[in-house]
Amino acid sequence: MVYFATSAENSKTSYKVDLSHHLSRETRARQPNPIKTIWKIAQTKVGTINMGNGDPHNTLYPISKIDFVVPSLDQPNPVQAWKEGNSKTDIISSYKDESCALSLKTAFAYGTGAGLQQVRGVLADLNNRIHSPPNHTVSLSLGNADSLTKCFRLFGDPGDSFLCEEFTFSPMTNAALPLGIKWEPIKMDKGGLIPADMDKILTNWDERTQGRRPHVLYTVPCSQNPTGSTLPFERRKSIYEIARKWDIIILEDDPYYFLQYGLNVDQFIVEQHGFTRALASVLPRSFLSMDYDGRVVRLDSFSKIVAPGMRLGWVTANNFFAEKLDSLTDSSSQHPHGFGQAFIAELLGDGGWGLDGFMKWTKSLCDEYQRRRDLFMDVFRREVGINGFATAEVPKSGMFVWIKINLEHHARYRVVKESNGDPRTNTAALMDELFRTLLDSGLVLIPASTFAITGSLSPPSGDCILDRVNYFRATFVGTDETICDGLKIFGRTIEQFFCF
Amino acid sequence: MPTVNPRNVDSIDLSHHLSTEARDRLPNPMKDVWRMVQGANKPDIANMANGDPHHSLYPFRKMSFEVPAVNQADPVSSWRNGSSDTQFFHSYKDQPSALSLRNAFQYTHGAGLPECQKALSDLTQFFHSPPNHAVTLTLGNSDGITKVFRMLGERGDHFLTDEFSFPGMTNAPLSYGIKWLGIKMDKGGIIPGEIERVLQHWDPRRGRRPHVLYIVPVGQNPTGTTLSLQRRKEIYAIARRWDLIIIEDDPYYFLQYDLPPVTASAEKGEFSEKFAQSLIPSLLSMDVDGRVLRIDSFSKILAPGMRLGWISSNHLFHHKLVTYTDSGPQHPHAFGQVFVTEMLGKNGWQMDGFCRWIQSLRVDYQRRRDFLLEAFRREVEPTGYASINVPEAGMFVWVTVNFDRHPRYRSRSNRGGSSVSPRTNTELLLHDLFKKFMDFDVVLMPSAIFAMEEDPLSVVSPHHIPIRDRINSFRGTFAGTEETIEKGMIRLGRALREFFEEAADTSHLEHKIMAHL
Repeated sequence: MVYFATSAENSKTSYKVDLSHHLSRETRARQPNPIKTIWKIAQTKVGTINMGNGDPHNTLYPISKIDFVVPSLDQPNPVQAWKEGNSKTDIISSYKDESCALSLKTAFAYGTGAGLQQVRGVLADLNNRIHSPPNHTVSLSLGNADSLTKCFRLFGDPGDSFLCEEFTFSPMTNAALPLGIKWEPIKMDKGGLIPADMDKILTNWDERTQGRRPHVLYTVPCSQNPTGSTLPFERRKSIYEIARKWDIIILEDDPYYFLQYGLNVDQFIVEQHGFTRALASVLPRSFLSMDYDGRVVRLDSFSKIVAPGMRLGWVTANNFFAEKLDSLTDSSSQHPHGFGQAFIAELLGDGGWGLDGFMKWTKSLCDEYQRRRDLFMDVFRREVGINGFATAEVPKSGMFVWIKINLEHHARYRVVKESNGDPRTNTAALMDELFRTLLDSGLVLIPASTFAITGSLSPPSGDCILDRVNYFRATFVGTDETICDGLKIFGRTIEQFFCF
Repeated sequence: MPTVNPRNVDSIDLSHHLSTEARDRLPNPMKDVWRMVQGANKPDIANMANGDPHHSLYPFRKMSFEVPAVNQADPVSSWRNGSSDTQFFHSYKDQPSALSLRNAFQYTHGAGLPECQKALSDLTQFFHSPPNHAVTLTLGNSDGITKVFRMLGERGDHFLTDEFSFPGMTNAPLSYGIKWLGIKMDKGGIIPGEIERVLQHWDPRRGRRPHVLYIVPVGQNPTGTTLSLQRRKEIYAIARRWDLIIIEDDPYYFLQYDLPPVTASAEKGEFSEKFAQSLIPSLLSMDVDGRVLRIDSFSKILAPGMRLGWISSNHLFHHKLVTYTDSGPQHPHAFGQVFVTEMLGKNGWQMDGFCRWIQSLRVDYQRRRDFLLEAFRREVEPTGYASINVPEAGMFVWVTVNFDRHPRYRSRSNRGGSSVSPRTNTELLLHDLFKKFMDFDVVLMPSAIFAMEEDPLSVVSPHHIPIRDRINSFRGTFAGTEETIEKGMIRLGRALREFFEEAADTSHLEHKIMAHL
């Protein structure tokens, strides 16, 4: 017996393209929570006494105030000053019984999966200023791992193949495997994933032998993990066109988006229109910003620009997908925690840094990471690159350097003639040896094999990714000392590895 | 990682209960790297492998939470009427804390931060002394329970639960092909003999025999029942006989009523010990096999927005839950872990203070329960149209309506139709009464929402009364203020009177109703 029609049944997507066929069987079968349905109805009529929901009353929440001591932005280089301990501080506060951006009364109550409007609104504002999304909704998440894995359940059925970059963040792609989802890797070069290869995979796909043609692409377009590449604008346009041609959903996983290097922020725009606008005009164009079909699901996170323990982020998608995602959230992890929502509401609100202040902090963060990147590259050239055994591109964003090891110069490098899909070289074995040697010498880097996706297509002419795992992923997020010492060890060890 | 028992080996092998998904799930591939790093045993190793922001860049130096001081006789009352003293829990990035911001805000293990995991392991040990279990942090009970469903449930499985159950939880696994069997209840909650009967008569052609039992043993949602110690022992014995996993969902555990209150004592530690002893033993406390997954939450005793809880389970399930967490929502947020660790730590409330708060809370809820019952007796009971239970725990009352006294009530004998199709129009009357309540500006949850769909294959007795003939109840709550409770009961009484005394000029409707039966 239906007590009241739900908004889900009444909503219509206002997009030209109907994307409902992308939903998994599980998502289609998901029923709305009847308790929440009645709860929503009880809210609509003013004066209704709701004795239906067992929610603890806010007078019993044992927190009346939270103070957060944060850096003051009242200086040209706030991150630098903060690191050195020279910074002034501000206190931003959330209250239960006094006015503030988001009352603890609200923050600590039960809510709906999408999160509180006070926080979603501010993040939608940020989205608008930076991406101008055509027609999308913001839902809060518990970070990108959470929202990404929820997307796997939202769109994936057992037997599906999803597309990804051939080197990718394997903890996430692994998460899809027990759901019966397989991965089809797309080749990459210095600019990231190669659109022509994506098109080729889709064109040559044989549904009779390989199952349903891939309908989802998972990409990390900025500071790709692990290769550190950033997709140039032209490629993004091509990829979007290919997605339209083949009806692909794009999962845009972008936690490093705000850590871009070499940005020249125009002071004039800052003064006239604020920091956010000024930054928006030099940041890369996201997939979201070109998403007229509603086929992009963009994942943003506070993990890299505030702290990983925030466990808070936001998902931007078309209204239809957003509702399905919220329904899954209501059936599992529930809405994000009150603390994080209160903190962000205050920090980004009028009593805190505001959006412009937050963007000023992130730009200052960029400058700090850029300093470390430059230090890394300088020391690398001096200690490692000089011998020619290893090379690295300068990353344009994020935290990763993809170091190539020129194994073909190694005395024990071997090539075999057979090309039946198995590796033709002993690259993997040599890299394993080098990894262990580095470990013994006191340095840990992650070998490329950890991130390599093998895929189902029988490789043409014996192309096997294990012949191309001659890379390490290095990061420059540690202290300056770690960077210098680490690279010295690297230089010494690799010289020994090649010469002795 | 800290566990409540130093042995990390499970008593018996329960791996056959795992779903394919749980079995297929791989651990984090980066873990192999970290394991080798630890094996290399080089404390000064240069770590250029982590993509974690350095703590010197976290934009906060200190967090302070203002909370009630619990050094008074009735802290909850004082807090509510604004007369309470307050104290602060502080956590610092660069100064000593029970759990520093520096440690709390980095990426960490799926089980949770060691300091918080230890604090909650100690808490669990204190209240339940589980034989051999490990603690995994969650984002609250919904998160914990739905993770457990995915860990144990295969498409086509049948899970067992109370015949009236909380759809927020039971709806979740329907979309991935798990079905529910509702087990009969009485005033004491789920009937153990009925669980056994279903298992004994299970026809293997229906699929795998049910291997999971999901219950809310204290302040059951929605009926408000609490399982006696005797029933718990019987249920555990049945679980051993039939190899069941028990999901013990216990968010109302600390809200048990009509217990003699523990008086404030000068001896440190005495208060909390006496408090713990007054509570009914949990299924976890008797779990010698490791077949209980106990789901605890701070939602009802601190606040729903905490989004923090924990699961106590055997070690195999603990590892599987950690791997699942690493592959999904990740460990809980730092804020909540910091708050709880400071709260239970030496500069916070400590265990004694926490127990004082909890006891004060339950006394407060008990007052409200009694207030509601008194208002019900005054405003509703005299009508003769409804009666109410006296819940021993939790937040809910179960109001039973005497629909058979209604002029439109219809009933027929079982004409040999399906054993589960209704023989009365109870459901229709329930629906109409719900609407009548709305007209009078009061909302209670109709029992139909909680009724588990019956399967004729599960019905053995010829005297079985279909559940849809027994949904003549509403779930109400006393979690609101006294003002809303009072008003609510008045409206309830009035609505009932109007509903039952409505004019009988509904003959055209009666034909429709008869046609439906």
